[in-house]
Amino acid sequence: MTGWMGLLAVVVQLELRQRVRSVAWYVLLGVVGLITGAVILVLYAGLSSTPAEVGGIIFSTVLFLVLLVATLVTPALCGAAINGERDAGTLAATQLTQVTSTQLVLGKLLATWIASLGFLVVTAPFLLASVLLGGLRPEAVAIGLVILVLEIGVTSAIGVGLSGIVRTPVFSIVTTYLVIAALSVGTPIAFGIGTLVVQETRTIASPMWEYSEDGTSSCELGQPIEMTQPRPDAVWWLLAANPYVVLSDAIPPSFGLYGSPDDAFSAVSLLVRQAQQPPTWPSCSDAFVDGSYEAQDVYDEGVPSWFVGLAIHLALAGTLVGAAIVRTRAPSKRLAAGSRIA
Amino acid sequence: MPPEETTPSPPRSSPDEPGRPGQSPPRATTDQPHRPDPSPAPVAREPRWHAPAEAATAPVGAQSQASAHPQASAGSASIPNPTAPSTDHAGSPTHAPTSSATAGIEVVDVRRAFGSVQAVRSMTFTAAPGSVTALIGPNGAGKTTLLLMLASLLAPDAGSIRIGGVDPIADPRVARRVLGWMPDVLGTWRTLSPRVVLRMMGRLHGMPTHVARARADELVAVVGLEQLADRPSRVLSRGQQQRLGLARALVHRPRVLLLDEPAAGLDPASRVQLRGLLRDLATDGCTVLVSSHDLGELDEVADASVFVEAGEAVSGDRLASARGSSTTWRIRSLDPAALSLALGRIGVAIDRIRVEGPSTTVVIDADAHAADLLARLVAAGVPIVHFAPTVGDIERTFLGLSGQTGAPGLPAPGRVQQRGGVR
Repeated sequence: MTGWMGLLAVVVQLELRQRVRSVAWYVLLGVVGLITGAVILVLYAGLSSTPAEVGGIIFSTVLFLVLLVATLVTPALCGAAINGERDAGTLAATQLTQVTSTQLVLGKLLATWIASLGFLVVTAPFLLASVLLGGLRPEAVAIGLVILVLEIGVTSAIGVGLSGIVRTPVFSIVTTYLVIAALSVGTPIAFGIGTLVVQETRTIASPMWEYSEDGTSSCELGQPIEMTQPRPDAVWWLLAANPYVVLSDAIPPSFGLYGSPDDAFSAVSLLVRQAQQPPTWPSCSDAFVDGSYEAQDVYDEGVPSWFVGLAIHLALAGTLVGAAIVRTRAPSKRLAAGSRIA
Repeated sequence: MPPEETTPSPPRSSPDEPGRPGQSPPRATTDQPHRPDPSPAPVAREPRWHAPAEAATAPVGAQSQASAHPQASAGSASIPNPTAPSTDHAGSPTHAPTSSATAGIEVVDVRRAFGSVQAVRSMTFTAAPGSVTALIGPNGAGKTTLLLMLASLLAPDAGSIRIGGVDPIADPRVARRVLGWMPDVLGTWRTLSPRVVLRMMGRLHGMPTHVARARADELVAVVGLEQLADRPSRVLSRGQQQRLGLARALVHRPRVLLLDEPAAGLDPASRVQLRGLLRDLATDGCTVLVSSHDLGELDEVADASVFVEAGEAVSGDRLASARGSSTTWRIRSLDPAALSLALGRIGVAIDRIRVEGPSTTVVIDADAHAADLLARLVAAGVPIVHFAPTVGDIERTFLGLSGQTGAPGLPAPGRVQQRGGVR
């Protein structure tokens, strides 16, 4: 097995040396670090909260930023990992060694993953700063980092997998961006459209309240009227596949004194749990629902979805990488029209 | 193009010896490579691409042949053993031919279609170890497709291939230990230096780091890239990239070399060196298959040739007839007037003679006639300084197959430009 891992390591090394380890890459990492720093400073200056709360906010913001940057840059980095080499005529040279197509594709995936984790590394100073500011929950840090690393891996896998399946680099990069965009931006849009489309209309008797002078009130049902409400609880699951939701939902939330979320993770996961709530219809019975807003209750009533989202991501990544391994196998039996072998 | 007068049937091109279908009939008695020019300069003595690799690969001892083969087959069946490659690659030659008689390249009735295009229709040929075999054919004849199948990159639709006795389709990893491949369009990792490229290739072939390092340094010297070895590959010129590609193909000391247009982009000196290198490799027992359009080039290096036409190896009969077709010989004399006079006196038909500036060309049907003509001219006291076919044997066969005789009246495709100035 050391031989197998050894060859895999050589592929990773080759990939990192020739594709990633360039001046442009370091410049990009530096720019990302500076932008993150600027955002954090503005955030810090704008927040009037106590330092204990700021730590959590900064930490979650940095992780979101890293996820954003990684999903923006990784497709460009790895979207041509296989078909670009095929176009350049270097893939065949690698295929004609003792390296199997599994090692080849997995090696490229690992190299891209490692390179993309560079974004996490350059933001390490800000993560450390947030630790020093205090107020961080250890479980949020641990789970957040693990999920973030996994999500960056999923992005790399989608890019590398598609580059092995789609023939031309441009199309595989664009497809990777579309898939990533569908998950990150498409799911909220689909959710928004879904709430507009999936609406429920009921004919209900509207409650009429009468307040007497002694402070009591009575309720009478008036004329039945037609009432239409959106049903986000029917389409909320669309959000489960969103990487930001996965990251947020996996971390146990923390709510402040007035039910306000302590960090960005809690805010996002609370929004998703709220979307799971069925709408309330006016009636006499719920008239005295406590108006105070209990975030923790809303959260607890909802169901967690992060593992579903993560499973979808891993399944997608695994399928694409598996297909790429099959397509990279040589000698090849089938060839797409006009495709190049060497 | 039926020959007016058939030469004695060439013994070497008979079907019972398909490995040497391109052996030229007149020179069948010798084992020398084809030489279009009879000037005495044996290829083997041409300058080589520096010595170190030759020094390392040349001493193919009998006992190392015996030990290298079982080792290669045992190690290749499983995960590369860390110790096996170190002895395998450290210096002991692995060019040792397999003990079976089936070493080299064996292709039987191989077919491959791309959609409705039948790129390779039915190829059958063998290439023997210790020889350089030329793969010749017009553009689109299926040469590159064939090489891709031999290199275990493309699966044939039908037929069987054996590379050094290994089926590259059923057992690609084992075949890849045996074969070295240089593609026609060479790609290289542009940011890596040649030395690093060769090191990485060695390690991808399963060599330990230090062995790969040593082998890379050795190959950089073999192909003469010392000056550029540590610069990024993107600064290499086309010819230098070709050299790097050749070195890359040689990293794991393959016993079967597949070269697609290796001489493209090389300067004349480098071509001579490439020839020397290929001959040395063949001498060490390597099977070398070269495809090229430069027919003169092939003529000088190839022991045997396989002519490909529309995806098929040309049959022995057609080869014989193509080869038997008349050839144009160029004659130069210190005294052109005496030459013309002598030619007329000997009785060469006037329509077969053509004066092109300082030289005279004569269409001759068979090599025996050429020898006869030369003897008569010399006997007549004509001071001959040059007497040679205008094209090499391979080119003559090639042109014969494509329906061109190479006669002055019918300029062959390859000669049009050259003659344009005269006309």
